[in-house]
Amino acid sequence: MAETDFLSQYSIQRWLEMCPQGYLDDTTYGHESGLTEPEDLLANDDLREASIALTVQLIAGERAALAASSGLVNAAPDHASKAFLATQTLDEARHVEIFTRRLIDLGVKEEDVDSTVNDLANPNLVKFAEVLLEKVGNGDFIAGVVGQNIVLEGMAFSVFELLQATSKDLNPKFAQTLAGTIADERRHVGFGENRIGSLIREHPERKADIERMQAEMSYHMLATFTDVFRGSGPTMDRERQAAAAEGRDLGSAEWHGTDVMAASTDDIEALLAGTVINEFKTRLGRIGIEYQDPKVPA
Amino acid sequence: MTADASPAFEPHQLDEEEFLREVHSFSFWFEAVEGYLEGRPYGADPELADEPLDGDDRDRLITTLCNYCVGEVTALDASSGLVRLAPNHHSRIFLATQVADEARHVEVFLRRLDDLGVLDGEAEVRARANPRLEEFRRRVLEMVDRGDWEAAVFAQNVLLESMEDTVFRFHASIADPVTRQVLEGVIADERRHLGFGENDLGRRLARDPAGRERLATIRAELDPLVLGSFDGVYRDLGLSRADQPSLGRDYLAAVERLGLTT
Repeated sequence: MAETDFLSQYSIQRWLEMCPQGYLDDTTYGHESGLTEPEDLLANDDLREASIALTVQLIAGERAALAASSGLVNAAPDHASKAFLATQTLDEARHVEIFTRRLIDLGVKEEDVDSTVNDLANPNLVKFAEVLLEKVGNGDFIAGVVGQNIVLEGMAFSVFELLQATSKDLNPKFAQTLAGTIADERRHVGFGENRIGSLIREHPERKADIERMQAEMSYHMLATFTDVFRGSGPTMDRERQAAAAEGRDLGSAEWHGTDVMAASTDDIEALLAGTVINEFKTRLGRIGIEYQDPKVPA
Repeated sequence: MTADASPAFEPHQLDEEEFLREVHSFSFWFEAVEGYLEGRPYGADPELADEPLDGDDRDRLITTLCNYCVGEVTALDASSGLVRLAPNHHSRIFLATQVADEARHVEVFLRRLDDLGVLDGEAEVRARANPRLEEFRRRVLEMVDRGDWEAAVFAQNVLLESMEDTVFRFHASIADPVTRQVLEGVIADERRHLGFGENDLGRRLARDPAGRERLATIRAELDPLVLGSFDGVYRDLGLSRADQPSLGRDYLAAVERLGLTT
């Protein structure tokens, strides 16, 4: 497909038809009206607090994506790219909005949302965002789009898919919320791959710097996964034991060939990290960037 | 998408927090734009017959639309830059909706240029840009770059939006049917943006009345550029002196009515 044809797929008009008039039609905060968080989750402080902590990470990631996509508009080299980034800005703002709403649904007072996010956001995730936002702040369009639309969005895509698989039966409200964000992220990743490939070919001298950024972001991403799974593991184990003792069936959810409802947290962490890194390798390869194993940053 | 943006719904009856949450949300934005964009891809009903324009009229309309693009790209770059400066969640969400609105405006004007046979709209915009508008753009983006929220919101959401509202309304009253319909959708968005600027700055000035003086100074610097650009509008729309409306006076009165600088 010629570049102009490809970019026409990312116009505001196309976005209006696909997204708000398409898969978000008849939704409220990303899900069917009337759906609520499950009562057993709200009644279980352990589970509720784990859900709050998880949702905070989603908000922190989406806030970074909102800052990055809006910050890249002014650096975009043509109107079609600006238009796409404008749609992405609004998509990311919507994600911040729906996950913030979930935090409130989980019992966080509206006036406490910011302090809760600041207190619970994982420090490695904050550093991950800082690496990206430094490139954006410097007006570096190529590195910014790779960091945002391939690395950040690639990670978000897999995380959301995993969460959706585990929520489908247990929490339809959250699963529906995630479905819309997954559809958005797929579009964002597609733009990153297609638009940046040609720019990398025009500026091969940028590869080394971008690969360094990817390695640094990957390090912080993997460290975030470790922290989050370490933090949520005991809650997950207790919930499984309680369900077994009460004869409750938590069901099964297959994701990339593994039943994540039965797998250990270590196994799920390894599965998620492996899936994201494989996706990075594939997507970066398509734009002519070689995936770099993460190193501890200086 | 469900939010109550129906004509009967009056958000101003809500208390302040509820009001901000309601009107600065993705759902409210979508319900609002859906009302006037449904069935109008690229801002106009595809069934609407386009009037043929003669050479001079066509050329003048192209220059006019090119300068609308300059204004809208300014608003797009400025509003996207303001997202990071937003003081709270609601303002950030609203600005994200404005970013999409401004990008849509550029898109519909570029599409109209395409309808008029312009082969490279972005190059044409660069070639026909009014220097005063470009200077206005430079000043607004400087405010954004130095992180001056109040100055940038005033310049963009009050002065630029008032200027566009004044010009677009007048142009819609004399335009061909397709351009008129495109302009109507843009005007509806601009009113929302102006409302945000008025509301945000009004609240700040209530706490800091001395801020009016600073806004008045900014206005004194930017008004000449706005008024100067109206001369270009008259020329581009092909109006004789006798037919020229008082756009400058209308603009000044619109800004004055907001009471942010007096």
